[in-house]
Amino acid sequence: MIQDYALFAVKSFKARKLRTFLTMLGIFVGIAAVVSLVSLGQGLENAITEQFESLGTNKLMITAKGGFYGMGSSASLDKDDLKLIQNARGIRNAGGFVSKVGSVELGNERKYTWLSGMPQDESKKVISDISSFKVESGRDLKNSDKFKAVIGSYLAKGEVFDKKVRIGDKIVIEGRKFEVIGILAPIGNPQDDSQIIIPLDTAVELFGGEETYAAIMADVIDGQNPSAVAESLTRTLRRHRGLKEGEEDFSIQTFEEMLESFSSILLIVQGVLIGIAAISLVVGGIGIMNTMYTSVFQRTNEIGIMKAIGARNSDILKIFLIESGFLGIVGGAVGILIGFTIGKTIEFSAAQAGLEIFKASFPWYLIVGSLLFSFVVGCAAGGFPAIQASRLKPVDALRYE
Amino acid sequence: MIFDYFSLAFKSLTGRSVRTWLTMIGIFIGITAVVSLISLGSGLQDSINAEFESMGKNRIMITPGGGQFGPQGGEMSIGKMTEQDLNVVRKTKGVDVATGYISKSSKVKFKDELKFLDVWGFATDSESTEVVDRSGFLELEKGRQLKQGDRFKAIVGDSIAYDSFDKELRIGDTIDVEGQGFKIIGIQKPSTMTDSSIRIPLEVAREIYDSPEEISGIFVLTSEGEEPAMVADRLKRGLRRFRNLDEGEEDFSVSTAEQTIAQLNTILSLVTIFLSGIAAISLVVGGIGIMNTMYTTVLERTREIGIMKAIGATNRNILFLFLIESGILGLAGGIVGIMLGFGISKIGEFIAIQMGAAFFRSSFSVFLIVGSLVFSFVIGMVSGALPARQAALLQPVEAFRGK
Repeated sequence: MIQDYALFAVKSFKARKLRTFLTMLGIFVGIAAVVSLVSLGQGLENAITEQFESLGTNKLMITAKGGFYGMGSSASLDKDDLKLIQNARGIRNAGGFVSKVGSVELGNERKYTWLSGMPQDESKKVISDISSFKVESGRDLKNSDKFKAVIGSYLAKGEVFDKKVRIGDKIVIEGRKFEVIGILAPIGNPQDDSQIIIPLDTAVELFGGEETYAAIMADVIDGQNPSAVAESLTRTLRRHRGLKEGEEDFSIQTFEEMLESFSSILLIVQGVLIGIAAISLVVGGIGIMNTMYTSVFQRTNEIGIMKAIGARNSDILKIFLIESGFLGIVGGAVGILIGFTIGKTIEFSAAQAGLEIFKASFPWYLIVGSLLFSFVVGCAAGGFPAIQASRLKPVDALRYE
Repeated sequence: MIFDYFSLAFKSLTGRSVRTWLTMIGIFIGITAVVSLISLGSGLQDSINAEFESMGKNRIMITPGGGQFGPQGGEMSIGKMTEQDLNVVRKTKGVDVATGYISKSSKVKFKDELKFLDVWGFATDSESTEVVDRSGFLELEKGRQLKQGDRFKAIVGDSIAYDSFDKELRIGDTIDVEGQGFKIIGIQKPSTMTDSSIRIPLEVAREIYDSPEEISGIFVLTSEGEEPAMVADRLKRGLRRFRNLDEGEEDFSVSTAEQTIAQLNTILSLVTIFLSGIAAISLVVGGIGIMNTMYTTVLERTREIGIMKAIGATNRNILFLFLIESGILGLAGGIVGIMLGFGISKIGEFIAIQMGAAFFRSSFSVFLIVGSLVFSFVIGMVSGALPARQAALLQPVEAFRGK
């Protein structure tokens, strides 16, 4: 029975190829826009989530309050705070690092890039876990190193200086000579990939002598709840710094919280974009409605004959609903294909631009959802015309010219 | 003649009112979206430009950091600026007055409420107060400016005074900055750049932050008749020589007011274009709808076309007839769309003002309105072109024979 309806719809499309095609064109432009935007937004969110999760969710980040993540704030975190955090309840280990933009010279060329001072004692692992640094060639820094540096992959590829920086090369950082001993594996974004890592003590000296950390990272003991540990740590630090509740000049964030704040911003941006793109779907739906009205007009005689030989109102209704739903779903299917292509093209250009961590994402619910949605748009748009068709009186319909 | 085309098209459209309506709805949804987005976007741009314009174009900002790292560049950079850089700046030709400031995000307390706010230390010597007076964005709503000899006095920005704390700040109130009480002596006029900052005397700030030499930035007003861009170049050269750097290796950045406005405008335009572009997809879909309707119309009126041709209508006549019909479809959709778009962006403006952006006005230039009308007419014509051609090329005999 349902087969008959479908067959009927297909026949009717064949008779009016051009109109069918144009109507579907409207739907697939809309679906393509929505699908590609969702896949890109979803991909971006995945990339961020993945980065966070690879670090493990049992991490805390402690920064000074105010400024931009503590940068430019009058408050600061120093060695005392770090020691306190290392010995706090629920914390396995903690480490602080410093990070600033400074001058780097190779030969006669001078550039400005990020310099990170990383601890080389037992707290090193906490930081290197979080920063996902892997030394690809050469060796990593060790405790006894002073004027040695590990460089990001962009420096080694020759994208920062005209010349490629090699292991064993001498570079001048803020006026001091350093030997390059290792090269990091690509991290996936230009800023991280053009940084230089030096030992913490050396960095502190270069940056002006004061050991105040850009951030302190802490590992929570397995099995402990990170937010509970964060809370007790807040109390401890508050007492240490002699502050009242609500007057903290530092902030402790669990990775989950950071992830949530990122995701919610992304969600809003995505919502606005998809909302605007979805306008075109509404317009496409109106196109279907228009086509269906025309179709009902042109087939008034046919409807009359069907009714005369015993078709019920519900049969006619189904014929037209399936026809319009079909228009929607086929438009949707082609739209998904086009959207997929657009998403992949953008992924490719992002990778070319150095953002290799970005992958367009096409979860099954996006595909099934879009198909379902396009079918519903088709049916809804065909609703009025179909009802009109089903209520035609056989006599009037047959008489209609 | 042209009038005949229009009246014929009009008759044909009103003859099939459901289809005409649905086709137009397709267009006006699209036009509404595009018009309201553009008017909001360009309104934002105009409002910001107007504010910058009122301050004059003779301002130059100098900050440490290579500039490529954004507004926080100064804080992230190892390279700092000091009073000595300020001396170099003051001696540069074309610089009328200049002053250095330090800025820190600091603990500020008022009636047991603690916030982290931007605190700026501004010098109070005569040259610096002249910069403040003439800057255009540090004007006061009430009270007085800082003057030589002031110590624990503060000027607060508009949003600090009225929004930051549960209780509004008044002149004479005492706020606590980094554990030190400051008496409020002035409240600034609203200004997007400095609404959320607190100004205190530089010497006091140096004591509080234990920062005897460093400055976070230098603020310059150029002399009358000097081209700010030229002065900026001279400043760059001078500072480069003083700091012993080669060209292209600056660890500081010099930006004129014009550059700042230009950058802001570029970003805003890009966002507006991007959003309108996505919205314009719906216009394409609407155009496809027109094309579809016109094809159907041509099919239904084959016989009519045959008659017209038989009594002497040329191909061109038929072509124009259908082109104008589809153009009217687009145009009518456009008119309704512009009205709806106007309504939506006025609502957007109202919401923005409620949310505190008092300076915001949506903008409806003649250009936007005429442009959208022409655009919607053109979309209609372009979409109708193929169907109209098909109609025009019909052979009269064929036209009669076809049902």
